[in-house]
Amino acid sequence: MSGGERKVKRHPRGQGWEEAGGEFYQESYPGGEAELEAMHQNPSNIATLLPSKQNRTATYSKMYDAKTTMRRRTANRTANRAQYQTTARRPSASAATAAATDVASMLPDLSENLSNEERTWEEIMQIKALPVSMAQKKEHKAKLQSQTKLRLQGLEQLKWQRRKMWQRLRRSWSEAYAKMELWRHSMKEVEGDFGTGVVAYFLFIKWLMFLNLGVCTLMVLFIVLPAVFLKPAQQFPECNLSNNFTGQGSVECCSAQYANTTSEPAENIFMQFIQGRGIVEHTQAFYGVYPNVELTLNSAAWLSYDMPLAYISLSLVFMLVSLAAIVKSAAKGFKERLVEGEGQFYQYCNIIFSGWDFCIKNEKSACIKHKAIFNEIKASIESERIEEERLTRSKEERFKLFSVRVLVNLAVFVLLIAALYLIYVVFDFSAQTQTDYIIANNTLLRLLFEFLPSLCVVGLNLVIPIILGMLVRLERYSPVLIVRITLMRTVLLRLSSLGVVLLSFYRQFNCDDPCRPEGADAKCKKPLCWETYVGQQFFKLMLVDFLSHIAVTFIVNFPRGQLAKYSHNSVVAYLGEQQFDLPKHVLDVVYIQTLCWLGSFFAPVLPLMASIIFFFMFYIKKFACLVNSKPSTIPYRASRSNSLFMAVLLLSFVVMIIPLGYTIAERTPSKSCGPFRGLPSVWSVIVRTFVSSPAWIKHVVFFFTTAGFAVPAFITLILCLYYFYAVSAANKHMVLVLKNQLVLEGRDKQFLLHRLSQIIKQQQEHHKAMRAAAQSAHMNSTDISSST
Amino acid sequence: MGQGKSQFTEEELQDYQDLTYFTKKEVLYAHQKFKALAPERVGHNKNAKLPMSKILLYPELKVNPFGDRICHAFSSSHDGDCTFEDFLDMMSVFSDAAPKSVKAEHAFRIFDFDGDDMLGEADLRQVVERLTGSQRLSESDMKHLIQNILDEADLDEDGALSFAEFEHIIDKSSDFCSTFRIRL
Repeated sequence: MSGGERKVKRHPRGQGWEEAGGEFYQESYPGGEAELEAMHQNPSNIATLLPSKQNRTATYSKMYDAKTTMRRRTANRTANRAQYQTTARRPSASAATAAATDVASMLPDLSENLSNEERTWEEIMQIKALPVSMAQKKEHKAKLQSQTKLRLQGLEQLKWQRRKMWQRLRRSWSEAYAKMELWRHSMKEVEGDFGTGVVAYFLFIKWLMFLNLGVCTLMVLFIVLPAVFLKPAQQFPECNLSNNFTGQGSVECCSAQYANTTSEPAENIFMQFIQGRGIVEHTQAFYGVYPNVELTLNSAAWLSYDMPLAYISLSLVFMLVSLAAIVKSAAKGFKERLVEGEGQFYQYCNIIFSGWDFCIKNEKSACIKHKAIFNEIKASIESERIEEERLTRSKEERFKLFSVRVLVNLAVFVLLIAALYLIYVVFDFSAQTQTDYIIANNTLLRLLFEFLPSLCVVGLNLVIPIILGMLVRLERYSPVLIVRITLMRTVLLRLSSLGVVLLSFYRQFNCDDPCRPEGADAKCKKPLCWETYVGQQFFKLMLVDFLSHIAVTFIVNFPRGQLAKYSHNSVVAYLGEQQFDLPKHVLDVVYIQTLCWLGSFFAPVLPLMASIIFFFMFYIKKFACLVNSKPSTIPYRASRSNSLFMAVLLLSFVVMIIPLGYTIAERTPSKSCGPFRGLPSVWSVIVRTFVSSPAWIKHVVFFFTTAGFAVPAFITLILCLYYFYAVSAANKHMVLVLKNQLVLEGRDKQFLLHRLSQIIKQQQEHHKAMRAAAQSAHMNSTDISSST
Repeated sequence: MGQGKSQFTEEELQDYQDLTYFTKKEVLYAHQKFKALAPERVGHNKNAKLPMSKILLYPELKVNPFGDRICHAFSSSHDGDCTFEDFLDMMSVFSDAAPKSVKAEHAFRIFDFDGDDMLGEADLRQVVERLTGSQRLSESDMKHLIQNILDEADLDEDGALSFAEFEHIIDKSSDFCSTFRIRL
């Protein structure tokens, strides 16, 4: 009996649900009738009513309404049900309990609708993303907070508390960070005038500074401090010239000989400092003083610190850290490029929708930005035309352009070779004249010759890019290509000039160690400690480069800029006006970083020096940017310029690794100084450490080199590669399919909308006709009635 | 900052912190900036409504070709006049912390001049005109450009960009986040 009742009872409930569903739809898109009205008036408007055509403000408010009504509805329904239950109470107790349990099982789980604390909190955190006014947000928040909610119990409560605390911590950290953030104000200033592309450059300088600072800290912690404070583990034998093992030419005697050399006493401390000689040479700033022995960490003397190993490891760590940092930064840019992927397709949208820098706040820059965007639009429309033109270019013209390009490339090549040869000759000359008697006695002249190679390199780096810039104009490439080609050529010049510097050192040093039983070879120019000598050269190169930036910025370009600003003569203005040429400035900092990488093995002071130089470079470049020059008419995009920086940096890193690797693996270190004295090569320290390491490490490493490991590893790698390749290909295909589907759906929708509006129109016409007919019928009938 | 602090209660600040992408300190700093636009009004009433002309004194908005559109998009009274809360909303959306989707949402509203929730040809034309400033593209270039934009982005070929299409472009643009930004 009760079963039958129940069936009857259930039926209306099912209907109720359906009704509720219908109401839900109506309520989630309220105002449907009004919209229908509007549609009747103007059938072509239907398209704008589609949910996909409305932005989230509209959809959000509807969703929100729907959600609240949903809650309300459930509440109503429960109330109804309770009422229903009371009215349907049976006299029989068992039936009543049955009904009660039945109803209870039918009751919706209250906890599903009541959000718990964590969910409410999450929702509150989500409010900020809603595109509504603050008042509405506040209201929403208050509503969420006043809701009855379940308290979380036990572990969940703990988890939630932890999450909340994490967020609070992060927030306070970001607050503290914002306060401490270096150059925040300067960045804003630059951004306001020059846009985000140029700011990316300043961020790059900052990034380099912190990279060097980090490495510098490592160096101080792991090699400078131990070298200063720890005592050698064992007493090493004194130099004893009569002894066979420790006599003339032995490591001990050579070390003693080097330690006793002091440069000319006449030099004052300043001179010594800027040349990295004298007292400075014998500090931890250079390679020479680091001991080649194990140092004791504690008095028990069994725990020791292997200085040579620490030294070489730190050099390797520096390289690895740099590489990791570059790759990480570059990968970010690379990912963006990948997302841009079909980038070319969105070229115009990019100009229009993200062309304006909202950070610009200076009227003049805004004016320039307007111009730049105008030019960019023009150029991209133009380039379409040029592309068409290029395809239809006459043979003669093509040949002419081709020969011009070949000639220019040849000229560039000759120029580079000439520059490199000049550097080579000057280095040779400088090395030969240093022993000259007259020069050796004249401090100023000596200083000049001492710095001659560095001056030559820096001078060429200043002059040749200008010539390259003029040459590239003859080639008639597109503007973007011009920037890239000039940049690549200049990078080539700078890197190869450094290569030549190293090469000329190695040619000079291509003889036996000067410290040997037979005495130094008179023809050999090899200093007692050639590593320190090389380190000094890099030290000087860096110093001169830095000083040249100061000179060029403040002494040459500043008056130029001022002249251009205040002179009305058009020639002067043309000569004086400077644009902030981003690629050139990027090269300047990349060059310093390359010097630092190359030199840090010979002079551990270089990372510190580089960080200090970068610190000042920021201000120098800021001055060059804000005071000397006006914004460039070439629009630099933040994302693209960042990947450009990283590409240049990575290129110089890779090129620089080669000579450094050669030095570490092949060159024989000096006998008289440094942590590797007496060893056949620097790398042999690693070999020595490996040989003396525990057996299991050796076993593991040996296992890595066997075929048993290599073949499976190789196969696994290939399989992985293939798998990822297949996945990416599938994804690409999927993207294509989805895109096609999107287009098809769009067309379908168009079609349906069209049909719908047609039907509505027809209906309207039909209605009109009916009404007209009815009216005429009415008229007729009145006519008839009147006639009768 | 001590002076600014007295104008807000701790709860208000907590609200603002929860409802924007700012920390409490940044909220106070934003209020200082707001106050600087019209000290005489904001001094009495921290949430005074400033007319659009005053809001447009803010340097970044002043030179921005879409300055008035921005004010309109964020104004709670929809006439371009902004209260401090509207201003705070604006700065929050333009801050670094705001995600791309939020920025895209507002960018769409800024670019949608006629308010029909679609970027039609007329909207695009106006955007381009404002971007190029005093220079004018020739009529044929303009037509060509708009056609190119629609070719790129208008997936359903209805002659206008819907929000979904707009968001799709923005998703692919790596520059959008760095340009649609105002440092407080």
